Amino acid sequence: MVAKLTAARVGWEVGGRTILAEIDLELEEKECLAVVGPNGAGKTTLLKIMAGLLPPSHGALTWEESPYDEISRKDLARRISYVPQNRPLRIPLTVEQLVLLGRYPYLSPFRLAPGKKDYDVVNESLELAGMETFRGRRLETLSGGERQSAFIAAALAQEAEILILDEPTAHLDPSHQRDVAALLLRLKQEQGLTILAATHDLNFASLIADRILALRAGSALACESPAELLRPMRLAEIFDAPFTVVRPGERPVTLLEMEP
Amino acid sequence: MRGRVVLIVLLVVWIAAILITPLLGARILSFSEVMNDEVAGTIFWSLRLPRTLLAVLAGGTLAIAGLALQTLFRNPLAEPYTLGIASGAALGAVLALQLEVFGWAVSFSVVAIASFVGALAVSGAILALAMSGYGRDVSTLLLAGIAISLSCSALILFVQYLADMTKTFRMVRWMMGGLAVVGYDEVLWLLPWTVVGVVVLLVLRWDMNLLLTGEELAASRGVDLKRLRLGILGTTAAMVAALVAVTGPIGFVGLIVPHILRRWIGHDHLLLIPACLLGGGAFLALCDLGARTVMAPAELPVGVLTALIGGPFFLWLLARDRSPS
Repeated sequence: MVAKLTAARVGWEVGGRTILAEIDLELEEKECLAVVGPNGAGKTTLLKIMAGLLPPSHGALTWEESPYDEISRKDLARRISYVPQNRPLRIPLTVEQLVLLGRYPYLSPFRLAPGKKDYDVVNESLELAGMETFRGRRLETLSGGERQSAFIAAALAQEAEILILDEPTAHLDPSHQRDVAALLLRLKQEQGLTILAATHDLNFASLIADRILALRAGSALACESPAELLRPMRLAEIFDAPFTVVRPGERPVTLLEMEP
Repeated sequence: MRGRVVLIVLLVVWIAAILITPLLGARILSFSEVMNDEVAGTIFWSLRLPRTLLAVLAGGTLAIAGLALQTLFRNPLAEPYTLGIASGAALGAVLALQLEVFGWAVSFSVVAIASFVGALAVSGAILALAMSGYGRDVSTLLLAGIAISLSCSALILFVQYLADMTKTFRMVRWMMGGLAVVGYDEVLWLLPWTVVGVVVLLVLRWDMNLLLTGEELAASRGVDLKRLRLGILGTTAAMVAALVAVTGPIGFVGLIVPHILRRWIGHDHLLLIPACLLGGGAFLALCDLGARTVMAPAELPVGVLTALIGGPFFLWLLARDRSPS
């Protein structure tokens, strides 16, 4: 396996507070890595650093052999796409317009309209995300799950090798959570995408991830396969909460024990 | 499709406004009069046509500047004067009037030059803030602009307090804005600023479209946010500074015209920018025609009419179409 993205001793500090301390991470080609951890563990910060959106306070990031600093913003956007969790409440665009904007790193301001290739990629991305029938709909009229698929379609239009998602299943009902998981698995298996996703949903992580990185208070506790990480002892250590494994195996299903 | 139709209609209205409004006024002219009668010719060529052209240019510039700032700040209340550029210009003008340096230099009055300097000073301060730590967050930048604007207004009040009645009247009159010009100097002065501004903003149209999806997503697509902010702020500041120096502040056009056009043609800046140029221009030219005629031979300040006509019209639009813009 080749490491696509390497983070070496990457950290982020703000106002003397350490949000993320010296993380080492190698993202390999075509793998899916999930990042889990309690609120404030630094998941989003790590994702933003890996996406090149936040320059780390220390440490180095490399794409294959080249440091991030040597890659232009647009070039990086052709390699890494990012689906943020925090988005404006009202985006006055249709699904198709949103996905077309995913072509931004390829568009020239001096050409009046996007080219045929851009529209072809938009169509393909809509189809992959199962959003063809929604193309003319305004984003405000979509349900949460449909909107998430629209944003994933827009990320696909970037034709990047790596897809980074922050909480892709947050605020979605169970059926839409399944849809997003199925979509990501399909993208990984059929399109060979490399996926990095932060999530609070351990069963979602178990389903899609090859490895799970556990963060706690800005430090990496473990980076292991779902079978290794999703054990009651480990989870108690990460989350300070009791978990039961209700279905063991390669992709365990866990349950948080709530006290009455 | 609908956007293109609206754009064509706007172009027709715009051309009609340029051709017809100079003929109308306290004295209605015909084309043959303009060609054969000397007085009519002078009224047309030296007074009304330059005035119409200035109105068309100024309205378009204001609408485009308002559009760009509303997109940049993701705030529907942003307008060309939000960042205090007009207040800076007014401060310059008021100081020049108070110090009685009323003469002519090149072909612009000292007041115009002083207000241009005032507008540039505020623009420079805003750009410096955008390049410093304030630039990281647009809402901080917006608040800083409002603070600058309020400070300038306070200084204006102070100067007015010191001024005598005649000067105070002239200051207040300047701050009402107006399009009364003789000859083409002002038009020729403003034209290059507007043309360059429109071209720069058209080049930035994809970036502005992406800003609608949020800054984080825009950055992840490869937009250099800091450069984009400086580009939009610098361009709009230069356009508005050049404009306000010759017309004074004319309210309403830059705030409302972009909203109306977004409702009609959607949010693609490739269509919105030319639509604002045409729509804002035609709107101001027609308002100015009203301002020249309703109380003829006296003239209303055009800013009074833009708000009187535009306000109720926009309220009607809001009530009719309750989907959010």
